[in-house]
Amino acid sequence: MMSDEKWMRTKLIPLVGVVVAIGCGGKPQDASATTKANASAERPVQLAQAAPEAAPAGGASGSASLHGSIKFSGTAPEAERIKMDADPQCLLQHKEAVHKPEVVINANGTLRYVFVYVKQGLEGKTFAAPTQPAVLDQQGCMYHPHVLGLQVNQPLEIVNNDATLHNVNCKPLNSKPFNIAQPVKGMKSTKTFAAPEVMVKCACNVHPWMATYVGVVAHPFFGVSGEDGGFTIAGLPAGHYTLEAWHEKYGTQTKTVTVADGERAQVDFEFKAP
Amino acid sequence: MTTIVQPVVRSLLVGAVCVGLASPCAAADTHAGTPAPDPFAGKAAYAQHCARCHGVTGAGDGRDAARLYPKPRNFTEGVYKFRATPSGTPPTDEDLFHTLTAGLPGSGMPDWAHLDESVRWQLVAYVKSLSPTFQDTPPQPIALGEDPGPKRADFAKGKQVYEQLGCAACHGPQGRANGSSAKTLVDNWGRPIRPANLTEGWNYRGGSDPKAIVTRVLAGMDGTPMPSYAEAASPDDVWQMAYYVQSLQRRPHWSMIVHALPLTGALPDTVEDPRWEPAEAADVRMRNVVQPSGELTGAQSITTVTLQAVYNAEAVGFRVSWTDPSEERTEPADALALAFHPVTVRGDVVTLQTWPMRDSPALDVVGWSAQRQQAVEAVAKNYESVWQAGPSSVTRSLQARYQDGQWDVVVTRPLHPADVEGAAQLSAGQFVPLAFALWDGGNPEQRAVSSWIDVVLQHPPVKAAAPDPSLMAVWVLAALVLIVGLVLVFRRS
Repeated sequence: MMSDEKWMRTKLIPLVGVVVAIGCGGKPQDASATTKANASAERPVQLAQAAPEAAPAGGASGSASLHGSIKFSGTAPEAERIKMDADPQCLLQHKEAVHKPEVVINANGTLRYVFVYVKQGLEGKTFAAPTQPAVLDQQGCMYHPHVLGLQVNQPLEIVNNDATLHNVNCKPLNSKPFNIAQPVKGMKSTKTFAAPEVMVKCACNVHPWMATYVGVVAHPFFGVSGEDGGFTIAGLPAGHYTLEAWHEKYGTQTKTVTVADGERAQVDFEFKAP
Repeated sequence: MTTIVQPVVRSLLVGAVCVGLASPCAAADTHAGTPAPDPFAGKAAYAQHCARCHGVTGAGDGRDAARLYPKPRNFTEGVYKFRATPSGTPPTDEDLFHTLTAGLPGSGMPDWAHLDESVRWQLVAYVKSLSPTFQDTPPQPIALGEDPGPKRADFAKGKQVYEQLGCAACHGPQGRANGSSAKTLVDNWGRPIRPANLTEGWNYRGGSDPKAIVTRVLAGMDGTPMPSYAEAASPDDVWQMAYYVQSLQRRPHWSMIVHALPLTGALPDTVEDPRWEPAEAADVRMRNVVQPSGELTGAQSITTVTLQAVYNAEAVGFRVSWTDPSEERTEPADALALAFHPVTVRGDVVTLQTWPMRDSPALDVVGWSAQRQQAVEAVAKNYESVWQAGPSSVTRSLQARYQDGQWDVVVTRPLHPADVEGAAQLSAGQFVPLAFALWDGGNPEQRAVSSWIDVVLQHPPVKAAAPDPSLMAVWVLAALVLIVGLVLVFRRS
């Protein structure tokens, strides 16, 4: 995997590159109040950046952008409270109750943790994997972020910031799965996924409430709805696209949009509680 | 586009690796002295030996699969527990050959050492053909480091590594599978799974020697919660830990005949009483009960029960010990049943695997539950009737202790209970059929049962304090000769 990635970096990046910055509407944060203050939780997680010197190739990047909001209607189910009693190291890190970040409704009524990406419309275009890793942090026996996007072969840096054993059991169907131990605080492992897959679930067996979803896509045009329920996909070439929005509980929705160079299009999604 | 580029990149890489390191690639495909794969021979052997559990197509859905737990492997998915290769990659041919040859102790997978070696290699080749994984990723064994050997094993260091690597989270501080996460573990298919009880070397699926332990720890066990520690620990440390883990394994004494030691005076009423020491401790295997649906549906958390027996002129006493990952004193509570044949029953009438069922005969059951102080005894047609039985006029249990993932329970019972109608009457020299049922309140869907064993009350209770251990063998022999003689005489007449 690392060799693949290295090969891509050394051979492909000079040829094909794209400067893209994906901003999430808000920084996805954990439902836990206590971890919000933590620096690593504040890290912008959806920053998929290629090397600054990389030049756009073959019209692979553009100046169009998509913005949207994930609306929510209906009554959200009550979030399940997580019992961390089994591991005092987990329990100690939370002063307040922690709930499963499955259905998280923002203050403005929008839905958090929705992964939005370009599903169709980029066929025939190639996008180099960024060398900048995306970071998956384990802190307070929770994953930060709960949902993240990753480009194919982009490094995923998995960090354990807890003084307890976590195993990271990622079960992609299209890429090589892995289940690795991180017994010591501060441990980092870097992994990549070789093929697109929405979503790859990663979980910790030691702490069965811990789960994170990684959207692996072949391009940098994705985002995750954050605290304001918004997402932004920038640097998109002009074209006609199908966008898909994925939510852990409410499944997927698609919408089509046509954008011209320099255009900024609005694409909103709405998920309904059954 | 990346999807198209990716396989090309991968095949280029694989090609480069194979050119640079010709021997490992060759080794992955063929073996010195192994036959060339013959798909027809492999398929025929598979159909004959493997399909009943693993299914005709290898999907793990053979006709016996429902009655097995752990479930048979689905070969079409290409996910393997027992590998010497990195997490997420397929096993080597040698890994598969070893699994086939040694079996997986503690599971339904027997060893196939009796098959010709050439047949086993054909099976390896055939099983590999059922999943594309083997074409996509050539297996590369991970570096296992150097075995320090038992003489340089440092148990203190090994224990420290065991703690540092967080093994206790699942396997427990003493290795008794009683870690805080043990109860909640599920495999990658969402099925309940239990960590290995490290004190039970006979149940380590992939082998209990230090090399097997090191391999499991470094490679992980794909599809299970057991992760790979290849990036988390040095092989040197893991070897020391493996020797420490090996030191946790206790030696079992499997026996289907347990000799009750005659004592004069009162029977021991505590778990710690030194008078248990000279009594034979027999290990008896437990098996989960197949559900009424005909399926085994959950992981086994109690695998073995250890029994010691003593008796005097009035009563028989049992010390029953088993590892149970969690102490549950409220419903569903941990519980034990000792089943005897009621006085009216002759011979083996029913196994606890099939008891109770509709119209099944009554058994004489001594029941102990962690939620009550005393055991009860009743001749009953089901367990519920036993639990509902009123307190016996004579004490049945004296002490129950839960410590470090293990229950030790002392139960006594009169030889001739006057308080329970139809109860088994025990006398010296007699073989007493006894079977166990055990409930783990932390795994309440399952009940573990044993087959019938025999308890022999050595004849006669000696008047002296403690019998000379060297005389014990003589007594045992004498009792056996006597019984065999009696049987012969009875048969003749």
